[in-house]
Amino acid sequence: MASATLPAISGSVFEALQADLTAALGADGVLAHLDERLVYECDGYVVEKSVPDLVVFPTSTEEVVAVVKACNKHNVPFVPRGAGTSLAGGTLAVGGGVMICLTRMRRILEINIRDRYAIVEPGVVNVWLTRALAGTGLHYAPDPSSQGACTLGGNVATNSGGPHTLKYGVTVNHVLGVELVLPDGTVVEIGGVTEDAPGYDMAGLVVGNEGTFGIVTRVIVRLSRDPEAGRTFLGVFASVEDSAAAISGIIAAGIVPAALEMLDNLLIRAIEDAFKFGFPTDAGAVLIIETDGLEAGQDREAEAIVKIVEENRGEIRKRIPWRTRTEPDYVAIWKSRKSAFGAIGRLSPSYCTQDGVVPRTKLPEIMRRIQAISKESGLRIGNVFHAGDGNIHPIVLFDERDPKQVERALDASHQILDACIELGGSVTGEHGIGVEKLSFMPKLFAAEDLATMVQIRKVFNPDDRCSPRKMLPTGAGCIEKTHPGRHASA
Amino acid sequence: MNWPLAPTDVPIGDGLYAGARECPSSLENLCQLVRDHRAAGSAIYPQGGATALDYGGVPARPGVVIDVRGLDQVIDYPAGDMTITVEAGMTVQRLTALLAAEKQRLPLDIPFADRATLGGAFATAVSGPRRFGWGRPRDQILGIQFVKADGQVVNGGGRVVKNVAGYDFPKLLTGSLGSLGILTQMTLRVRPIPESSAVAFASCPTLEDAAEALERLNLSETRPVALELLNPSAVGWYQSRGLPLISGAWTVVVGLEDNQAAVSWQVEKLREELGSLGAKLEVLSDGHADPAWDALMHFAVQPPGRLTLKVSVRPSEVPNLFGELDSGLWALQAHAGNGIVWCHWIGPSEGNSLADLLPEVDRVRSLAIRGGGTLMIPHCPTPWKERLRVWGEPRSEWPLMARIKETLDPEGVMNPGRFLGTIH
Repeated sequence: MASATLPAISGSVFEALQADLTAALGADGVLAHLDERLVYECDGYVVEKSVPDLVVFPTSTEEVVAVVKACNKHNVPFVPRGAGTSLAGGTLAVGGGVMICLTRMRRILEINIRDRYAIVEPGVVNVWLTRALAGTGLHYAPDPSSQGACTLGGNVATNSGGPHTLKYGVTVNHVLGVELVLPDGTVVEIGGVTEDAPGYDMAGLVVGNEGTFGIVTRVIVRLSRDPEAGRTFLGVFASVEDSAAAISGIIAAGIVPAALEMLDNLLIRAIEDAFKFGFPTDAGAVLIIETDGLEAGQDREAEAIVKIVEENRGEIRKRIPWRTRTEPDYVAIWKSRKSAFGAIGRLSPSYCTQDGVVPRTKLPEIMRRIQAISKESGLRIGNVFHAGDGNIHPIVLFDERDPKQVERALDASHQILDACIELGGSVTGEHGIGVEKLSFMPKLFAAEDLATMVQIRKVFNPDDRCSPRKMLPTGAGCIEKTHPGRHASA
Repeated sequence: MNWPLAPTDVPIGDGLYAGARECPSSLENLCQLVRDHRAAGSAIYPQGGATALDYGGVPARPGVVIDVRGLDQVIDYPAGDMTITVEAGMTVQRLTALLAAEKQRLPLDIPFADRATLGGAFATAVSGPRRFGWGRPRDQILGIQFVKADGQVVNGGGRVVKNVAGYDFPKLLTGSLGSLGILTQMTLRVRPIPESSAVAFASCPTLEDAAEALERLNLSETRPVALELLNPSAVGWYQSRGLPLISGAWTVVVGLEDNQAAVSWQVEKLREELGSLGAKLEVLSDGHADPAWDALMHFAVQPPGRLTLKVSVRPSEVPNLFGELDSGLWALQAHAGNGIVWCHWIGPSEGNSLADLLPEVDRVRSLAIRGGGTLMIPHCPTPWKERLRVWGEPRSEWPLMARIKETLDPEGVMNPGRFLGTIH
């Protein structure tokens, strides 16, 4: 276990650190009792657990700086945490230390409609910003499925995606700048409200750093103009292959859908059972296809999509025209999709999911591989994809009371990720490497690539005191996973 | 190593010349050349189509050019994935033709496409009017391969459209001006060519009218992909290219790209929205719009005088900045939706010295900085560069950048002198 590779904090250091942190944050800003800290032993990735020695709740940049300086003084590692929705162990307190919870830094500091940006603290939940912008004509584009819980600070750390990234991009495409507390306590302004500041694209580099560069204490996000209108379709297919052919047809027709989600039969049944939206439980696959833009241009795209679906032996079962995204059918179809993982609980005592990516044209191939892996392992594997991006979320069902099944589930997950790499893809489209996928980094990148990443981390975090043993494998710090996870949402 | 005593046939900009031009034909060859020249104590100046040789600070020490144009192959073009992987020496024109065969394009405005290479375009992070709707080079790059000063090949990102494994080297290298390594290959996100396009010139009698039009367009029912502002002097330049602009007007330019039905609807909507403000609208559609798009992306890189400024401010401050700069002395075009203002000096030849212009540059710079913006100087005589501070005032993130540079290129081999003051 990783915790064995980092020295434990001695009692006297612990007491001195606790005193310093309490002086800086007040008693209600520091959790020290084990029963309070246990909640923070893991995030959405529950396989690895490590209880932080202290959990702190700063309310300002100054308090974050004070915490970081205290940790440095006592030579104790620290790790930032938002809502803890990471599915890859991104906020695991490897080896203990101080967990810096940013959930009390939750103010939306500024919304500027004319200049199309918002400035937020890192603990602001993604959907709060969406709500604050309702009716302004602008929105913040990235909408991860966990947007009701996940924080914008966490979104910056992992470069979060969601179902609408095909057309609108991921978090990094919508972040103009951040305020970053470096691991030595220095506060740096990265980027800003104006574009093209001279120098390297530091905002681009910082987004997706998984907490290894420091603590983001403020985020400047770009706001986008709302689409005027859209159409959301439910396309029903007899097989996954047919749905994949329809996806290719849509792209080949020059249409870039706002979202293109695929669910296979196993997921369809789970969701229908849970939400009764009207998904056909006998279908081999369904596609949720969404276009958006100007109303004037929608009908033409809609006609083209209907035609392509029908040409590929599919049928449009629902056609939801929308303006505000509050239309009941619109809300219902997306609620079903975004809660897909929750619905799985009805099918299996345990499950684990992955976040692989393949080139979109390789979707039929990866589906065949997954089916073969399922057959070989004797485990059911369901699929819900951000199909437009080639971002797959295969869900392996197993019973954790049976150690042999656990082992097979783990093997199956790894085989799927290996297949993604083999097909020219990646092992993570939006969840991050965290601790979960550390062992895959050497398969994705050459030694020189990883060595250069370590060099860049050292620029920000020379002692590796901030988020140690994350994202980049180090000889000693590679965590061997022994147990697959049980996941909340993706 | 010394600077050549006489000009060679290998210019590196700012009136300086390299001792040699190396034209590697393979990645291995390029790596070897980097190792050899570094070992010999030579600086390395990466070069592509040489369309922006004078951009940035003055080259700091003698060296050789490594010309990447021999690396110009398509590595992979899975059109159905809307991605393409190409070598950095490919010209933009060739890429455009390749993509057009699949009815796709790279939605970036890259001037001098016949000569400009992709490596150069991404190293300089060039952008144009379409950035408002389609983003900048950073938004189109998915994967990168570069060669560091030690001759090692480094890859970052990947070939799929969504990928968060590892640090985002594609972003770090985009706009790094060859200072961290030589770009050798990139994977780009491409898009379908829009069915239809239009460019609308809205001529306004006063700057206040133009400001009101921009205000109105911010929440317009249309969805422009470009939103520009020209001052009357810039209008003259567009007229000289045969475009139907009205002399003396402050001109708001709206670029539209979408399917036919959506573009036609937007043109009518613009007439409604801007007509009520008293602006006179001239619309060029589809094929007729192409020369307008071309002009809009080339204004910035065709300076009529000795000095060009690039000012970044908040979009709402663009009209104020226009008001601060005398239209008789400056020709101005703004990517108004993004707050980027290109300022070409067109003042009389007397009053054209550094001493005359320095106070004006300082004044504009302080205006920019006051609103949280920046000013850099893409074009000026070489001897002015140091005094005018090409890259502007140091910012709190600069020391981090300097550390990144020192880490990846400790001996300062790659493009020395060109980038920020603290990065040599």
